[in-house]
Amino acid sequence: MIRFLARRTAALVTAVLLASFVVFLIPYLTPGDPVRKIIRSRVAGDVIDDSSVQALSAELGLHDPLWKQYLGWLGNLAGGDMGLSHTSRTPVIDQVLPALGITVSIVIMTLLVAAVVSLVLGATAALHEGRTLDRWISAVTQAFIAIPEYWLAPLLVLVFSLQLAFLPSAGWSGPSSAVLPVTVLALRPTSFFTSAVREGVLQSLGSDHVAAARSRGMSRTATMMRHVIPNGLLPLTTSVAIWFAGLLGGSVIVEVMFSIPGMGRLLFDGVINSDIPVAQGAVVVVVALAVLLTTAADLVHTLLNPRMRSAVA
Amino acid sequence: MRYSLPASVSAGLAALLALTGCGFTGSGDSSAQSTQDADKQQRIVVDNFRAPVANWALESDAAYILSLSGCLETLTRYDEAEGKIVPSLATEWKQSSPMEWDFTIREGVEFQDGTPLTADAVVGSLQRVLKAAVPARAFNPKVVSSVTALDGRTVRVTTPTESPLVPYRLASVNTGVLSPAAFEGNNVNPFGHCTGPFTPVSEKAKQSLTLDRNANYWGGEVQLAGAEVRFVTDGATRTTQVQTGEADVSLSIPVSGLAALESDSNVKVLKADSPRTATLYMNNGKAPFDKVDFRKAVTSALDLDALAASVYEGAAVPASGPFAPSEPWAGGTQDAPAKDVDAAKKLLADAGYSADRPLEIIAIVERAEFADVAAVIQDNLKAVGVPVTIQTKEYAAVEPDLLAGNYDMVLSQRNRLIDIADPIGFLTADYTCDGTYNLSHFCNEEYDAIIAKASTTADSDERYGLYAQAGRILKDQAVNVWLVNEQAIDAVRTNLQGHTQDPLARYVLRAQTAKPAS
Repeated sequence: MIRFLARRTAALVTAVLLASFVVFLIPYLTPGDPVRKIIRSRVAGDVIDDSSVQALSAELGLHDPLWKQYLGWLGNLAGGDMGLSHTSRTPVIDQVLPALGITVSIVIMTLLVAAVVSLVLGATAALHEGRTLDRWISAVTQAFIAIPEYWLAPLLVLVFSLQLAFLPSAGWSGPSSAVLPVTVLALRPTSFFTSAVREGVLQSLGSDHVAAARSRGMSRTATMMRHVIPNGLLPLTTSVAIWFAGLLGGSVIVEVMFSIPGMGRLLFDGVINSDIPVAQGAVVVVVALAVLLTTAADLVHTLLNPRMRSAVA
Repeated sequence: MRYSLPASVSAGLAALLALTGCGFTGSGDSSAQSTQDADKQQRIVVDNFRAPVANWALESDAAYILSLSGCLETLTRYDEAEGKIVPSLATEWKQSSPMEWDFTIREGVEFQDGTPLTADAVVGSLQRVLKAAVPARAFNPKVVSSVTALDGRTVRVTTPTESPLVPYRLASVNTGVLSPAAFEGNNVNPFGHCTGPFTPVSEKAKQSLTLDRNANYWGGEVQLAGAEVRFVTDGATRTTQVQTGEADVSLSIPVSGLAALESDSNVKVLKADSPRTATLYMNNGKAPFDKVDFRKAVTSALDLDALAASVYEGAAVPASGPFAPSEPWAGGTQDAPAKDVDAAKKLLADAGYSADRPLEIIAIVERAEFADVAAVIQDNLKAVGVPVTIQTKEYAAVEPDLLAGNYDMVLSQRNRLIDIADPIGFLTADYTCDGTYNLSHFCNEEYDAIIAKASTTADSDERYGLYAQAGRILKDQAVNVWLVNEQAIDAVRTNLQGHTQDPLARYVLRAQTAKPAS
């Protein structure tokens, strides 16, 4: 177990270092002068004075060699300091934490919606295995994967905001503003979860303990609630952790389209504005959380599975 | 328009947010909410197209947001209707010597924190902008040497060279005045420290700025109880929100949303000439563009009417030259050049043009419509025997080549009045021999002499006449093809009162802006 945790800690540190270094290099690998990009994010316009470029470069320490800049940032990070934003000159952590709170809220709501819907759909499909309803549920949920977010989001806005005037079209101002973005984000996990629940329920239905329960005279509903559904949910545990990690950094399009100031939007703005500290801070937090979540999921999975537990030990 | 979810659903979502400790920012103050509900019809929402990125630093574009929000005010302001600079926080000004301007500060004005507006406060605020690492284009050490207080009510602005444009510079939103308490170390805090009709009271980072009425406003009774300025960078969302009634004003409507808004009886679409002209820049320093006949041939080959009608869907008008016809320095209304294939072919022959290599048009990706514009130009030029290829690139990637003269043609668009409400900066940077942004690589002594004279001409009518002369030279020399004059398009709900469109989006929330109770 200790070796397992040590391996995962090493993976966490490696992932954070690699990701932060790649993000650090992005402004230098893409065309154009990073300092000019920063200035353009502060003052629109084409004509940029060379003296301004020099002054800002000196103020931000961008004259230093890249390795020195990166190591300096790394040293500060080790002390819990993510630095100051290049554009606003405010602490990065003050931008990352509120954004993280919003994105985590969205992701939790998304996964709850996806889990509940997929539980109903997956169980229904399993109970109607091979019949028309099963085929319809499979076809519809598979289609969810193919629907792009940038297509679905405006469509939902058109119907629920413009035509029905039922939900706000954008922003983050109350529970109702979460409905459309959560719906858009929930489609893909719903598709995967439904398939997993269906398989889990089918396996459970064919198991000996379910047959034994039925032979003891337990009703079909009681068997479903006590044995089949709980077992059908087991495959979701690992999937939810993986999707949680993925959605933390994968909600960029939805956050931009719905004007939600979450992690995706923060990362997007950081890259667009060449605000390296902000982009690095966002990536480090997302990567660290992703590794921690998948590690936790693996740990839970290992503890619950005797064969895995003995292998790790 | 109200949006509601079933109470149980809302309660469930709210509970989840509370459990995760990640609530919606700013929604927890029930008293503030109830106050807004009680006075809802007199508060409005403005959807702005940009968010502040520089933490309210006045030298940055954040100043535009504070200005349009009715918070930040300047010593002078540019009156679009009159086409001249008019008093604001300064009541009068005079050029006391060739390099000195004295401004008299308005009496009886208080900042929103209750402190009086004095010459010292103005000087402190302006000096912050002057000393910024990245100073404002309109107000920086190259154009302003110093700002001092002569007495309690007089501010002197000194320039390094004779400049008649100082009152214009002090109309720039970057020279807005905040009270001394707004400046804490390196931070700028505009909350409660402006002089305008609205006081910013809270901010949701990257989302919105909430403002309340300034009951002590010096410029008259403020009609609205308050407003919320939202930062909505997506144009389609701004379009939708003014349709749904979520926003009362949406700024900078994209062309794609125009048809839907124009057919909506609850929305009024406002259009005005913007100081932006989509332009086909030609590299005058490189063959075959170094011959004026060739450049004129390109102009004659293009169908600007079709371009405006198709790519711009009627939201732009064909350009007749470097200025929009409504600008006071345009030199009167002129027709846009008409497509004339025969004339173009003759001019090509006169220029001795041989299509030995395809010419390249660069369409910068930041302006999505330029790819289509380039395709139309490619087709037009092909019809007169000029082969053209199209490259789409990021502006940042091509800028060094453009400035160095390593290109044929590029599609771009400049804001002529981005610095001050006068085109001198644009005409100098873009077309003089030593211009810092002379993408055309055009050089003409007569033009330079006119611009030099204009830069020291105090009389605005005379100066505008010189600009018109300069514009005629650019047109006669066919330096570029000015394609279409873009329109500033805003949309407002029809029940909004007292709203006047500003093409540069500097002034939106004003004391007279009003909304009747429904």
